[in-house]
Amino acid sequence: MEPIIEIRNLSKIYTAKERKGVFRGKKKKIEALKNINLDIYKGEIFGLLGPNGAGKTTLIKCLTTLLLPTEGTVRINGYDLIKDENSVRASIGCMLMGERGLYWKLTGKENLEFFAALYHVPRKIRKQRIKEIVELLNLEDIIERPVESYSSGQKMKLAFAKSLINKAPVIFLDEPTNTLDVYSARELRSIVKDLNKKGHTIVYTTHQMSEAEELCDRVAIIDRGEIIALGTINDLKNSIKKESVIKIEGIIKEETYNIIKNLKITKKAAISSSNGFSKLTIVTENARRALPEIIKILLENDSTIQYISPEEITLEDVFIAKTGRSLSQDTRVI
Amino acid sequence: MTEFTLRSNLDAMYTVFLARVRILSRYRGWFLMDIILPIFLAAMPILLGRAVAGTSMEGNFLKNVGTANYVAYMVIGANLFMVVSNSLWHFGFWLRNEMQMGTLESLYLAPVNKIIILGGVAMYTTLRSLISFFLAFTLGCFIFRVNPFQGDIGIAFLFLLVGLIPVYGLSFLYGSLVLKLKEAEALINIGQWVIGFLMGIFFPVTVFPRILRFIAEIFPPTWMNNGVRSALLGLNYFLGEWYLDLAVLWAFCIIMPLAGYYVFISIEKSIKKNEGVGKF
Ligand SMILES: Nc1ncnc2c1ncn2[C@@H]1O[C@H](COP(=O)(O)OP(=O)(O)OP(=O)(O)O)[C@@H](O)[C@H]1O
Ligand SMILES: [Mg+2]
Repeated sequence: MEPIIEIRNLSKIYTAKERKGVFRGKKKKIEALKNINLDIYKGEIFGLLGPNGAGKTTLIKCLTTLLLPTEGTVRINGYDLIKDENSVRASIGCMLMGERGLYWKLTGKENLEFFAALYHVPRKIRKQRIKEIVELLNLEDIIERPVESYSSGQKMKLAFAKSLINKAPVIFLDEPTNTLDVYSARELRSIVKDLNKKGHTIVYTTHQMSEAEELCDRVAIIDRGEIIALGTINDLKNSIKKESVIKIEGIIKEETYNIIKNLKITKKAAISSSNGFSKLTIVTENARRALPEIIKILLENDSTIQYISPEEITLEDVFIAKTGRSLSQDTRVI
Repeated sequence: MTEFTLRSNLDAMYTVFLARVRILSRYRGWFLMDIILPIFLAAMPILLGRAVAGTSMEGNFLKNVGTANYVAYMVIGANLFMVVSNSLWHFGFWLRNEMQMGTLESLYLAPVNKIIILGGVAMYTTLRSLISFFLAFTLGCFIFRVNPFQGDIGIAFLFLLVGLIPVYGLSFLYGSLVLKLKEAEALINIGQWVIGFLMGIFFPVTVFPRILRFIAEIFPPTWMNNGVRSALLGLNYFLGEWYLDLAVLWAFCIIMPLAGYYVFISIEKSIKKNEGVGKF
């Protein structure tokens, strides 16, 4: 297969000022991307999956010419990212900052006309192009209204529409379903699939693994600026043995989790809690042999076990097996 | 595949211009301010002059400045100051607003050269500044009973048009500061008074001490201001003849926008090396 995006040794370092008091400040280097190497192939839906602060947005901003990489080279659609900046830009459509990036005082249509001109869509076909996009996304009712009167989800949709204006071979979507309700999110994903069928290559970031599982042909899991896993969803899931994962749901205290985490038989363990209800995932050599000991510890420590499940392996389990943290945990580089 | 043609580039520039005009039309109050402010600005020294010097004002003014028509002098100064200040203001405000709305990032994603976008915005600030100049000037002349059709109107107009071009250079410089410091209001508030002072809105820069006068003379709007006044009120050009003064302005026309654009692009690059234009 032919790569449409080739990333070689890409690194990005931010320098940020740390504030200490009103006047004192210290410069600090943040390594947001560490030596990324990646090929994305023509015609695939590629998922970038990772927890908050992993470096997904930074990677996308580097690929879309918004940031200059500190090191490395990138080719997109055959063009060099630095030397052929405008050809790269013409080859990509982007939805990067949710509902930001639109002119609120202009109507939806005026926004699309504006960006069509900036993307050099010839006048003759502009009207038709906009009409197609409006129909595809069902924007008929709102398109003549100023954007400031839109709901958050409607602004998201218009931002999505904007990313389609130049019919680019590659489309970058950075957490496009973030503020959409379940129904609209599903609708957007199905449009993404259709676009993909029409030949667009899609790069899609998310921190919801279910979304990645539903949509993507291949995913890269990014953590702390590094790609820690790469492959098709099935490859990744098969990379850990089903017998080795234990999932327990119930009321589990932090100390109990710490005890389990430090057991000899535990390879990796992660917990995610909401409203006092926890989901504990443990990766071991052999689940069947480890289970009695873990249950014993849980009971000794007054845990309430509601569910022990030999469930299907998910991408989240892959992440836990690699990092020992759950995806919902904040893992910003500090 | 996208084709980059001269036509599609010009179309992009026109679109940026048109979008600005459309947005302005949705905030009509701004335009009214543009017209009314210079009248208040001119009223202050005119009334002060009447209060302090009374009827001897005209004689003193003639002796020191070269024209008895101090009212016209102030009206012209105030209006030209507004043209310069507005051009900077509109540009800085535009940039700051684009940063905050996230649209600056959208512009940076588009396959157009920065010069096309800056050109579109410059077209808009020119049109807006010129329209408000003519409206405010006419209204000012009417209120203060000055005859606007005196002197060499053609030459005055030439000074105004040619003088506006270096102002874009200044706007780009100012824009670079806004890009870097992520701040517009404080910058323009300080800048505004420095500009007004240097270009001599209410007095001839010949009254400045040597050093200050030198600084004023490397500041292009000073030449525009003096040129327009000299043409309309028959004062002295800096270099004796109108075409010599105009030649200096032409030189600024080449130097200033190039310098401004160069600084803008360099600052932009240094920002992209770090956090990018999305930060606000
Ligand atoms: N402008 C900046 N200056 C300094 N550090 C930054 C800047 N932008 C991002 N970072 C840091 O770089 C790292 C990666 O951030 P990035 O926004 O790429 O993460 P992300 O994967 O998109 O996260 P999220 O899921 O929250 O969107 C983080 O540690 C973040 O704090
Ligand atoms: Mg992000």
